[in-house]
Amino acid sequence: MSLSHLRAAVTAGDDGTLIRYVRLHVGDGDEAAGRREIDKAWIEALTVLLDMPVVDRAFVLDTLGTRDRATLAHLFFSLHFHLVQESGEWIHDGDL
Amino acid sequence: MTATSNGGQIRPGLWHTVNERYPGSMITKSDTVPLARLRRPLAESRLSFVSTAGVQPTGTLPFDVVHPVGDYSFRRVPSGAAPADLEIHQLKYPTDGAHRDLNVIFPIERLQELAREGVVGGLTDNFFSFIGYNMDPDLLERTLAEELAQAVADEQADLALLSPA
Repeated sequence: MSLSHLRAAVTAGDDGTLIRYVRLHVGDGDEAAGRREIDKAWIEALTVLLDMPVVDRAFVLDTLGTRDRATLAHLFFSLHFHLVQESGEWIHDGDL
Repeated sequence: MTATSNGGQIRPGLWHTVNERYPGSMITKSDTVPLARLRRPLAESRLSFVSTAGVQPTGTLPFDVVHPVGDYSFRRVPSGAAPADLEIHQLKYPTDGAHRDLNVIFPIERLQELAREGVVGGLTDNFFSFIGYNMDPDLLERTLAEELAQAVADEQADLALLSPA
């Protein structure tokens, strides 16, 4: 999906097109796989936190408070792929 | 985006399939630039290589494979490099074979052999690599394609081998 189609979807408030694009991206062109990948990332994040390990909240708060929205948005995508990779269930053909 | 020298599209069926899934990502060009003819024999020509394989020198900034709109940068790959000096960063094609032998996707040793054997006159100092997941064709044409073409020209290449991954 080209950028022009995505911008048109943003203008039109067409969230369905936007989330489909995200699913296609994280699912390597397979929307159903992308949906499962998004679920997998959230489950991995939840699982890691269940035992209440020490977390570096100062780092998190500093990052959220000092970095621009674009960098944070990219971090969001990066964390998705990172957590999916950490889960051990890597569906992608290539490497990060 | 790619056109043959006679103005026809390569694999028109693929265009349709990809555009169904990613509307607008595959575009048709009407201002086809004809392929240039060699100005000197192959055995006297400097060959460059341009690949979408996402191959880069080990330790350089990895291609941005997580960005939802793509990465419009390229990397210079020294043409004299050994496969062990290189690594792959991309998500969209199987890399198992390439990890066993990089030449299946980025035939750097085969091209070195062609130069040693005199089949081609030599290699440019650098080859070039980028990733093929780029969802903005206009940005691709304005930035990456222009910059890459200039970089190849700056290497004084007589011809360039283009290879999609």
